[in-house]
Amino acid sequence: MTYTELFNRIKESLLSFDSEAVRIEVEEAIRVSVPVEVLIEALRGGMEAVGDKFRSGEFFVTDLIVAGEIVKEAQELLEPLMRNTPTADHNTVVVATVTGDIHDIGKNIFVMLMRAEGFRVIDLGVDVSSEKIIAAVKEYRPEILGLSALLTTNLEEFPKIVAALKKEGLRGCVKVIIGGATVTEQFARESGVDAYAKSAVEGVDFSRSWVENRL
Amino acid sequence: MYNEIMAVYEGREGEKLVFQPRIKHWYDVNLFSGTLPDRYQGKYLDEIYADLGVAPREVWGYGGTSSEFAGYYGLTAVEGDDVEVWTRQSPGRRRSNPTEVDYIITEYKTPKGTIQQVQRPTEHGTSLMNVEYYLKDLGDFEVYKYILEERRYAWDDARYNWGFKRYRDYLPLRANLQRAPLMWLMIGTMGFQRTVTMLWRHPKEMGELLTLLELDFDKQLEAYRGKPVAELNFGDNIHQDLCPPPFFRKYMIPFFQRVIPKIHAMGMYTTSHWDGFVKQLLPLAQETGLDGLECVTPQPQGDVTLEEMKESMGSMFLRDGIPAVLFCPWVSTEILENHVHRLIETFYPRLILGVSDLLPANADVERLRLVKRIVKDFNDRL
Repeated sequence: MTYTELFNRIKESLLSFDSEAVRIEVEEAIRVSVPVEVLIEALRGGMEAVGDKFRSGEFFVTDLIVAGEIVKEAQELLEPLMRNTPTADHNTVVVATVTGDIHDIGKNIFVMLMRAEGFRVIDLGVDVSSEKIIAAVKEYRPEILGLSALLTTNLEEFPKIVAALKKEGLRGCVKVIIGGATVTEQFARESGVDAYAKSAVEGVDFSRSWVENRL
Repeated sequence: MYNEIMAVYEGREGEKLVFQPRIKHWYDVNLFSGTLPDRYQGKYLDEIYADLGVAPREVWGYGGTSSEFAGYYGLTAVEGDDVEVWTRQSPGRRRSNPTEVDYIITEYKTPKGTIQQVQRPTEHGTSLMNVEYYLKDLGDFEVYKYILEERRYAWDDARYNWGFKRYRDYLPLRANLQRAPLMWLMIGTMGFQRTVTMLWRHPKEMGELLTLLELDFDKQLEAYRGKPVAELNFGDNIHQDLCPPPFFRKYMIPFFQRVIPKIHAMGMYTTSHWDGFVKQLLPLAQETGLDGLECVTPQPQGDVTLEEMKESMGSMFLRDGIPAVLFCPWVSTEILENHVHRLIETFYPRLILGVSDLLPANADVERLRLVKRIVKDFNDRL
């Protein structure tokens, strides 16, 4: 089996939400010593195909969740191998729902998709203070900071965090992306962030393009 | 006011337009933060409604913090004899700035086992978020099924009388139902992601649970039978990302089609709360048999235009329709005014005007007066 065939099989199995087929493909690939990086790329490619169908309106968020579950299971099969492999150069993203806000569905889907995309994700959870967010940026040195808020009362947190990043001399080191239903394009621009994503998939698109273009 | 709202239910034309915004969240947060405007310091919510000259919305309840009715949950759940409900509640729920350790743990203890939910208050203690849901695995299903089988409902006479004294000739009584079974699992008892994965992994068991939840509605409706209720509202919190069209067709429409005729047969009207993105779902709305939709949020906050809403809803009525964000100080009042004019033009007389979904805590409350003036001008011209 060529790598192209492997990629296609995993992609087709993922698109039909056939977790058993994905598992068999991955196990078989491991058995014949397909490098773990190739398998990670195959799963990422499969998720990208799922994302394409989401963008075209054929798939929905619920489909992203099921596909994400399947990929997560497959990634678990790879974990023992990854321990024996030199650490991959993962890009890091820190994600949080800002203080005073508890909405986490969009954030959680973004986290799941980013993990499937191969990012190292530090999920700080919901109702996270700006101090904790800044501390996490200092500690993990992420390439990307993803922030979410649904309530209008909490939108003011975005410019506040951007200002704190500047004050700490961190703004130039991290791309900031925000999401949430009450965020508008104009508000995002005025907040001084790098991007506003209307959906988790769009957030992944921005992140991928930043990484591909070396931020 | 009573007649005007009944006119919307009944599809009568020529009556005055009613503006009935939800302001309790704004009130609660500002009360607890000490930031209510001077003129409203020390006032009850009802007095603020009266001062603004708009129709009250959060009525028929006792009015405490976190008791957001936006109507009236008219029933009390009565658990089975061998079902015990234990709650450990920290004092944090009722004070400002609760901390992360202020958890509220509720346990249902039954002969089939125990299920547990953990919640914590939000920033100002005015709402609760689930940290842990009751249903985590198939084992919990058996406990929950037992609870549902043993549960019955009773009409809450004390609460009804409380509201009746204040609003009997002013507002038709609008009472709430539980969320439709799928939405109840997603938001109330299982959580969104787990519900989706369980539907995928365990369709048979989930189907049985959904059926049992639907049977629970028969008990709720029976408790409402013969009571002076004009409208029953499903507090569904519909959003197409939670409930995409395939889910809506499979789980929601058949449910509504089975339950709504029973509501109509009791002489009541019925609505559902759609407060998320709904563009993909609106074309399916009329298949449900609902009389109206609450809180559909148009652009720029929602994902639909007023024209798309009207086209999809046909003769259904709309309650609310002004995006909450238009009440925030950073949006120009011209945008708000323009939206309200267009909304009235598009939906009247199938409209009870209000905020979709509720007045934000950092809103400029004076903008309600601005909308009130537009409504008055409109009504004066009728």
